[in-house]
Amino acid sequence: RSPSKSKRISGFDMAPPTSALLSGATDVAGQVPGTTNPSIPGMFSNMF
Amino acid sequence: CSRLHTKPSISPTILLSNMYQRPDSITPGVDAQGNPIDPRKIQEHFEDFYEDLFEELNKYGEIESLNICDNLADHMVGNVYVQFREEEQAANALKNLTGRFYAGRPIIVDFSPVTDFREATCR
Repeated sequence: RSPSKSKRISGFDMAPPTSALLSGATDVAGQVPGTTNPSIPGMFSNMF
Repeated sequence: CSRLHTKPSISPTILLSNMYQRPDSITPGVDAQGNPIDPRKIQEHFEDFYEDLFEELNKYGEIESLNICDNLADHMVGNVYVQFREEEQAANALKNLTGRFYAGRPIIVDFSPVTDFREATCR
């Protein structure tokens, strides 16, 4: 792969959206708000 | 497979169950919206996952081998096998990964009896 490609967000410690809401967190580390596609669980939002 | 796989109490290898999810896991070559996915994108997705995993696991010990099941069958889907050089390193990784999440899903981690992947075919 080309080294110029920016490093993608790690999926580690990416909590499920429900628990993020329960804990009252507004910004989950490693998630880009507004671009996450809830119909594809486990997929990186910045992939395509 | 109907075999009862024993989980050893200590092993240099750990198993992360169903961790890798292909973007086309529902229908091969097609995403969840029914649009075809470029095979290169699928490969890239896999490589990103591999790299992400390797970097995290490398913190806990020397990785001897990292195997990711990139299959679409109903058996062992997305299972990740990580063999460390030493049992203590595997134990350390298991301890540090237990109870954490990966991409919104809990990480299911166990020791695995597999130490030779050429001989690891489940028959």
